[in-house]
Amino acid sequence: MSSPVAARFVGSAVHRKEDRRLLTGHGQYVADASAPRMVHAAFLRSEHAKARLNSVNIEAALSAPGVVAVYLWSDFHEKFGEAWHAMLGQELVVPPPLAIMDVRYVGDPIALVIAESRALAEDACGLIEVDYEAEQATVDYATAAADGNVVHAAWGLPSNVMVDMPFTPMSPDLDETFNSVQHVVETTIIQNRYLCVPMETRGVLASWVPGLEELDLIVSTQSVHETRNFFARYLGLDEGAVRVSARDVGGGFGQKMFVFREECAVVLATKLLGRPVKWIEDRLENLTSAGHSRNELGKVRMAISADGIIEAITVDHVADVGAYTPCPAVMDPTLLPGPYRIPRLGFSTQMVWTNTMGKAAYRGPWMFETTAREMAIDIAARQIGMDPAELRRRNLLSLAELPFTSPGGKVFQEITPLETLEQALGMLGYEEFRKEQAEAREQGRWLGVGICVYVEPTSMEQATLGTEGATIRIDSNGKVVAYLSTSSHGQSVETTMAQIIADDLGVAYDDVTVVQGDTQSTPYGPGTGGSRTAVIAGGAAHDAAVAVRDKVLAIAAHMMEAAPEDLQIAEGVIAVRGTPDRSLTMKEVATQAYTNAHTLPGDVGSGLEATIRFKPTRFPTWSNATHVCVVEIDPDTFIPRILRYIVSEDCGKMINPQVVEGQIFGGVVQGLGGVLYEDFRYDPDGNPQTTTFLDYLLPTTGETPLIEIGHIESVSTTNPGGFKGMGEGGAIGAHAAVANAVGDALAHLGVNVTSTPLGPEDIFQLVQASQKERA
Amino acid sequence: MKPSQFQHHAPERVDEVVALLAEYGDDAKVLAGGQSLIPIMALRMATYPHLVDIARVPDLSKISATPNAVRVGAMVRQSHAERDAAVATVPLLAKALPHIGHFQIRNRGTVGGSIAHADPASELPAVALALDARIEATGPGGVRFIDASEFFLSTWQTALDDGEILSAVEFPVWGAGSGFGVEEIARRKGDFALVGALAGVTLDGDRVTRACITMIGVGSTPVRCHEAEAALIAGGANADLNEIGRIAAAPLTPTHDVHASAAYRKHVSPAIVRRALTAALKEARS
Ligand SMILES: Cc1cc2nc3c(=O)[nH]c(=O)nc-3n(C[C@H](O)[C@H](O)[C@H](O)COP(=O)(O)OP(=O)(O)OC[C@H]3O[C@@H](n4cnc5c(N)ncnc54)[C@H](O)[C@@H]3O)c2cc1C
Repeated sequence: MSSPVAARFVGSAVHRKEDRRLLTGHGQYVADASAPRMVHAAFLRSEHAKARLNSVNIEAALSAPGVVAVYLWSDFHEKFGEAWHAMLGQELVVPPPLAIMDVRYVGDPIALVIAESRALAEDACGLIEVDYEAEQATVDYATAAADGNVVHAAWGLPSNVMVDMPFTPMSPDLDETFNSVQHVVETTIIQNRYLCVPMETRGVLASWVPGLEELDLIVSTQSVHETRNFFARYLGLDEGAVRVSARDVGGGFGQKMFVFREECAVVLATKLLGRPVKWIEDRLENLTSAGHSRNELGKVRMAISADGIIEAITVDHVADVGAYTPCPAVMDPTLLPGPYRIPRLGFSTQMVWTNTMGKAAYRGPWMFETTAREMAIDIAARQIGMDPAELRRRNLLSLAELPFTSPGGKVFQEITPLETLEQALGMLGYEEFRKEQAEAREQGRWLGVGICVYVEPTSMEQATLGTEGATIRIDSNGKVVAYLSTSSHGQSVETTMAQIIADDLGVAYDDVTVVQGDTQSTPYGPGTGGSRTAVIAGGAAHDAAVAVRDKVLAIAAHMMEAAPEDLQIAEGVIAVRGTPDRSLTMKEVATQAYTNAHTLPGDVGSGLEATIRFKPTRFPTWSNATHVCVVEIDPDTFIPRILRYIVSEDCGKMINPQVVEGQIFGGVVQGLGGVLYEDFRYDPDGNPQTTTFLDYLLPTTGETPLIEIGHIESVSTTNPGGFKGMGEGGAIGAHAAVANAVGDALAHLGVNVTSTPLGPEDIFQLVQASQKERA
Repeated sequence: MKPSQFQHHAPERVDEVVALLAEYGDDAKVLAGGQSLIPIMALRMATYPHLVDIARVPDLSKISATPNAVRVGAMVRQSHAERDAAVATVPLLAKALPHIGHFQIRNRGTVGGSIAHADPASELPAVALALDARIEATGPGGVRFIDASEFFLSTWQTALDDGEILSAVEFPVWGAGSGFGVEEIARRKGDFALVGALAGVTLDGDRVTRACITMIGVGSTPVRCHEAEAALIAGGANADLNEIGRIAAAPLTPTHDVHASAAYRKHVSPAIVRRALTAALKEARS
């Protein structure tokens, strides 16, 4: 009927609606929830990476103080039904809630103890006697495919290969190109195992209500609706008989996108007991048993012409999926050429099982394509004697030449790779840095700069992911409530969606309340993940707001005897354009719409509410960025320190620059953490070595540099707001930027950095090895 | 990650502490700041049915100074010591304290707890060893003193007898012309040192009249580098500190963990000693 008023809130850094409760310690997490007659759960977990369970004796545990129940697999057997997620498909079944006859990784749950407190449950776990028959574990994924020790031998599987895609040339003249080109560069890039590590660990308060025959779950999840649908299938209930809610979620990063076996066990326990059961995972469990990520390698080959044009790129890729993978999301090889004009591509992919914790999604799950390419480009630049910025410059796509179809079949449009490279290099003062670096080397200081350019597929369409829903209602007091399908876990969704809605409705930002994370009141959504909220949920919020706005105008027009086209809404007041004294407040319209609805003519309708689902015009919505990192390595101690960190990003129109930058900060810290501090390690027998924060090192504010951000806003046409997703980018770009900076700092010593992590020990080993080689 | 059930005792006098320890024997453990003990119990690496909390014993929380030494009660919080005027007269101690964890940890962690815990990567045991501090132990038989050089036996093992507590530590005060340096390599701010060096010198012109060098993270106890000290005294203030560092590192036999190999620890040791000595000499000259 009419176009929305000019944006007032979109584009500005309004105060976050979440801040008051979160910053004052009043967030509502699972641990804050309780229920009458609630009992607590603890898992007894395997101490062996691979073993047969000869016997499990729970007698002493059953009679321990405060113990309510002890469950083994035999108690749960045949008590549940289908165990799959709509997004991943029916083939990928969640493993059994407890180990059946054998264990396949350290942390594999064997028994579930329910007691009056968590401490008592842990006491009882200590009393369970397990007779293990240990077997040789398979731990190294690089050799697992050929290893005769089969992780899933008990299922009758012949090898450790889960997926084996042989080499596939995506271009017919791939071999010719490699044979005829000036430079062929070959290098194997290895990315270490690191983890989501949300501040809030996994947790669930599960309440089966006998008589009502309903399941109520308060759970730390990225997807209340998919959790509901999962458990409806799992217990054979109607979806309406399962309620899932999550008020605040302290981080997910992909880990909490899917239901875990532990949550299944807790749900079965409440069903059997008829009492609410709470499980709050501890940090030891979260580090060892909540999914592991990254941990991929690839042999990259590049064909480069004499003048530095990359003519082809290939990868032979191997990814570790552990014993049971909650989400086997690995590198997307079709994205390997990234935002470059590279015309030829080929790849093979192998996903292998090992006796370790399984692969989980982690912020940019496909991102090894960026790590592999960007680290290989630095190796290539050094090999052909060209500056790494220049090699990128010659090959990067720029906005003007789009759309561009990559050899992987990606159609890039509305992205600015070259533009962000130039902006980031300008922010650094790249040429001056190179001079400073040369002078520093004279003085025995090791400085280096690393670049990473990537394109981020956001708002993808796979299975459930393509749409989101919004119900928007103006209540009888004239204030707005938006029920969104999202499950925010730190993305400021309440803030950004309220900005969009306030603008579309012409009301104050403070007059919009956003409700999410409750299956009882919100429309279906697949979950918050995959950088989809701004584009898809934002589109739904916009469309629903416009629909409600049209209702407001229709009713107001009737009340004022004016034409709807002649009305405008600003600051919550509906007025006739050019005649400001003829106006109504939103509350007056709402009173008419609800209290006196019977007096409205039929064609005007009643109530001020609309529900709309939104689908973007295209999938995916691309965004992009360039990261530039400067490090200094102490030649005495090999400790690397980040001196500068620069991001130039393009996420289209920004809803809230502060939220955008917050997402970048968090992602960058995760990426640099994975290179410099975080590294989840197993010993050769599959025993985890980094099981507490004493050994699994997260970067803190003390290690985090000032992150400088430049924005380019090239608008997207996939959605009405012109937005692009950007939630994962920070974590995608930081890994290679930091690794390349370390590589650049060591290059003059003859060191080639091709693997991570890069802690002081790793750098020491690299320097020692190159000195030995030279001697 | 929850400790198993324990009984919490909160005596108010040292003799009561000693009596409780005698009563419960191996079932009892002293609780000071809890910054090492509680994680160990939460991870169930150890269980103790009785914790004897010494936080409410006023006599254990005192700092007193004599001209030649500063006596720090076992229960003095590390953050308190950090700001104390008497402790400032023992600069090596004052400089080492901020290297312990983060301020939240130092607000609870105690001087005595750190020394009694005897972690080989900890700073305070090394301060005690470097300065030839005297450890005051109180047990059923009364009070006795143990030289720091005899106190640290191995990782988490000290010369305290069963039933004895560490009641105080006496840190000697060095005279004019002295300087001190603390250098360490930690992965992150507040982490335990991979390798560290604590050094002190007293200068008379260019003559080094007194020197101490102690290293942490390189063995099962803090390690006093006597040969390097002798070389520094022989070489004077202008000695080649790289060489002193090499002498200090030569006898070390460090172990490895997930953060660093033995080879790394050995390799970086000379430079850390050099840096600690450079700082100490600079301060002594000023
Ligand atoms: C995150 C983190 C980082 C840390 N980083 C460092 C670091 O960088 N450097 C460092 O040195 N330490 C570090 N610590 C340890 C911390 O300094 C502890 O304070 C210290 O090691 C123990 O002191 P406490 O008072 O907390 O002792 P507690 O934890 O209470 O006790 C430790 C042990 O000593 C015994 N004990 C304590 N007091 C006495 C006494 N008076 N007599 C006899 N036995 C006693 C206890 O029985 C127990 O066995 C860190 C701790 C944490 C949690």
